[in-house]
Amino acid sequence: MNVHTYEKVWLGAAMVLIVFFIASVTYGAIGAGVAMVDDSEETIDPDTLGEDDRFGDPRVEQVGDDEYEVYAVARTFVFQPDPIEVPEDSTVTFYITSGDVIHSFSVVGTNANVMVIPGEVATMTVEVDEPGEYGIVCNEYCGPGHHDMEGLLVVQPEDEFELEDDE
Amino acid sequence: MSSIEREIGHDEYDPVGTLALIGLYFLLLVVLWTFTYFVEFLGGDLTVVGTLL
Amino acid sequence: MSAETGSATGVASEGRTYIDQFPGEARLVRTAFWSSFVALGIGGLMGLVQVLHRADVLRVIDSTDYYAVLTLHGVLLALTFTIFFLVGIFTWAITTSLDRGLEDLRFTWAWYGLMAGGTALAAIPILGGLTDAVEMSASVLFTFYAPLQAHPLFYLGLALFVVGTWLAGLDWIRSYLAWRRENPDERIPLPTFMVLTTLGFWYLSSLGVALAVVVFLLPWSLGIWEQVNPLLTRTMFWYFGHPVVYFWLMPVYMMWYLMLPKVSGGKLFSDPLARVVFVLFLVLSTPTGIHHQYLDPGIAEGFKFIAMTNTMFLLLPSLLTAFTVVASMEHGARQRGGTGTFGWLRALPWRDPVFTGMALAGVMFAAAGFSGMVNAGMNINYLVHNTFWIVGHFHLTVGTAVALTFMAVTYWFLPQVSGKRLWNRSVALAQVVLWFVGMVLMSNAMHRGGLDSVPRRTAEPQYRGFEIEPTLGTMAELDAQIVLGGTILFVSLVLFLVVVVMTGLGDRVDDLPANEYAETLSGPEDAPLVLDNLKLWVGIAVVLVVLAYALPLAAIVDRGGLFGPGGSPFPVFVGCLEPTVSASVAFLGDHLPAAVSGWW
Ligand code: HEM
Ligand SMILES: [Cu+2]
Ligand SMILES: [Cu+2]
Repeated sequence: MNVHTYEKVWLGAAMVLIVFFIASVTYGAIGAGVAMVDDSEETIDPDTLGEDDRFGDPRVEQVGDDEYEVYAVARTFVFQPDPIEVPEDSTVTFYITSGDVIHSFSVVGTNANVMVIPGEVATMTVEVDEPGEYGIVCNEYCGPGHHDMEGLLVVQPEDEFELEDDE
Repeated sequence: MSSIEREIGHDEYDPVGTLALIGLYFLLLVVLWTFTYFVEFLGGDLTVVGTLL
Repeated sequence: MSAETGSATGVASEGRTYIDQFPGEARLVRTAFWSSFVALGIGGLMGLVQVLHRADVLRVIDSTDYYAVLTLHGVLLALTFTIFFLVGIFTWAITTSLDRGLEDLRFTWAWYGLMAGGTALAAIPILGGLTDAVEMSASVLFTFYAPLQAHPLFYLGLALFVVGTWLAGLDWIRSYLAWRRENPDERIPLPTFMVLTTLGFWYLSSLGVALAVVVFLLPWSLGIWEQVNPLLTRTMFWYFGHPVVYFWLMPVYMMWYLMLPKVSGGKLFSDPLARVVFVLFLVLSTPTGIHHQYLDPGIAEGFKFIAMTNTMFLLLPSLLTAFTVVASMEHGARQRGGTGTFGWLRALPWRDPVFTGMALAGVMFAAAGFSGMVNAGMNINYLVHNTFWIVGHFHLTVGTAVALTFMAVTYWFLPQVSGKRLWNRSVALAQVVLWFVGMVLMSNAMHRGGLDSVPRRTAEPQYRGFEIEPTLGTMAELDAQIVLGGTILFVSLVLFLVVVVMTGLGDRVDDLPANEYAETLSGPEDAPLVLDNLKLWVGIAVVLVVLAYALPLAAIVDRGGLFGPGGSPFPVFVGCLEPTVSASVAFLGDHLPAAVSGWW
């Protein structure tokens, strides 16, 4: 097979490019510590979420000094709880599941973006710093009212933050 | 084809123009990727991090 | 050895057009093209409706009906338009390069009928979603993720369509085998080689979606299964959903390898590398589908990483294609007297709509290459997944690289298969340029909006509690670009249809150019024989698929069960705005038996 020298050069360059991309992604995973949503949670029956400890009562819970967990449910066409309130400078882990069809939980203008699939629990941990407000949208079509599905993530100043009593 | 002015065979043809164009494309890809991955993405807010708990 | 004179194309058209050589096959190709253009016309109109609706410029439908429109757009353009055109081109490629007609045209019309019938069946409930008059709908978009549930006709239509394509493949394979018996020692002609390798991964991958539909979704929509596993059917969809993009792309590559060099006035730079590229696609295009599920819960990070590396290596054949195709064009330009490092570009036949359309499609594909690399990048998917960025990306790939190439080559094919002269070359030229301009505007703004989290698949991306703010410019400016771009695209589409119809209305002439494709600078005699060993490559493809999918599928079934951890179907009927799960179950109970007896 006779391959022109220039073409060999390009073949080499293309391989370099591919390896560079894979290396960046690997750096993102290991160096920068970006984790992918995975299969670490058990499956769950979407029809009986009401009886579940975490999702029966969607809420924010404090689990450590600056650590919070959010148990959120997406269903046609709302997010619960709404708004989601967390304090500044904290580590927040979201546990999100669906009560009906596939949705997404996507925090506008950020990298927090995950599919919400009935039967599965999506988890993601993020660091929040400054106080502020972020919109939450569902970016997966979920039925005729899909465009009405929105929520709010509010990062509050340390001194104003208070967990709702859920006795 | 009528507009052919000369026949160029395999051994007398070096695609220099192609090499130049594709070299520029290569540089463009590297620059755009670097910006999008390292600035837009890794520099962004609320990056999902590993649960090392 | 080097083929100083270029190898023969194997074409014995002897100056004749395709319709003179193969009148029966030409009729089939013509009919397939027409089916494809009807889909393009209707789909494009829906595209215009979507653009205007999203930007809130003009809302001719209710926002709840938007998703029926979008389903129509997605299905008609991604499946109908592309695949009908493909069967036309592949039929041409097989018959022309083997220089023999199909074995039995009755069989050929049977698979065409199955594809057309399947499309019609699926279209009924989709259109039903647009009116309240019939209680049938399928507003599930072209991805039909369970538990969103369509009317059974939708799934049945899809299944028939896919079976139609399988039979089409058998038809071409039959031709090839008949040719092989008569020519035991010859190399497979390049166009036929391209068809056969494409078929290899088409059978392999469409099996996944066929199983998802026939085993799970269709019986489920009929009430035979109570529930399905949404993650499983979704994974089976994407097992097919990624390779299908190469199914759109392979006829385009075929045109770039076979026609572009010819219309540039040159020869294909390398036949052996073209074969290598198609083999790489056969082997690598299926074990990558999980890259559409980077953000899905229930799939381990390791599997996502494997899909990512496979996907990155799949860049290789496309990057190689870029070189070979540009080098072939440069060869043409230099033969036409072009000189200089970049000066040769001026010597290309820019007034020829066939050339210009394909060349501009190629430029857009290079841009799409970049956004595709980002999409492939696993963790960076957090930034772009399901945003408008993705829509910008695939309007460059399928919406331009594919659609514009198809439109451009139509200007060559139509005279070939109808024996009529192209109605107006200047209009045709304006048409391809307008598509390019419209798409630059539309897709650029879509990409930018996506980086700012503008969601895709949304009738009203305007929210009550917050606003999406672009980092650069304003939302109004992005919307304006998209509306302007979409409108230009629609105008271009209308021009295309005008040229096609006016050409069809013309008279037969007998001074058309012959049915020929490009010769090669380095011919098949330079290609190692092993490349033509299709059994070997299909075998490797199967092994890679098993490696990439066996464990993820086993894990999904193990975790959630074949039929899922629970969850009820969610029929997507327009009008039931607040369908609670129980209401939808009751609805299903009431209406399904009637609906079923309706078509049974
Ligand atoms: C007149 C030209 C076109 C216009 C104005 C247009 C416009 C659009 C818009 C605005 C969307 C996004 C809708 C949303 O996510 O809410 C869309 C989606 C889409 N378009 Fe187009 N488009 C055009 C041509 C095409 C062509 C030629 C193809 C393919 C051959 C195509 C394939 C698709 C697909 C597959 C989707 C995704 C559907 C989904 O998300 O389910 N479009 N189009
Ligand atoms: Cu939604
Ligand atoms: Cu893909």
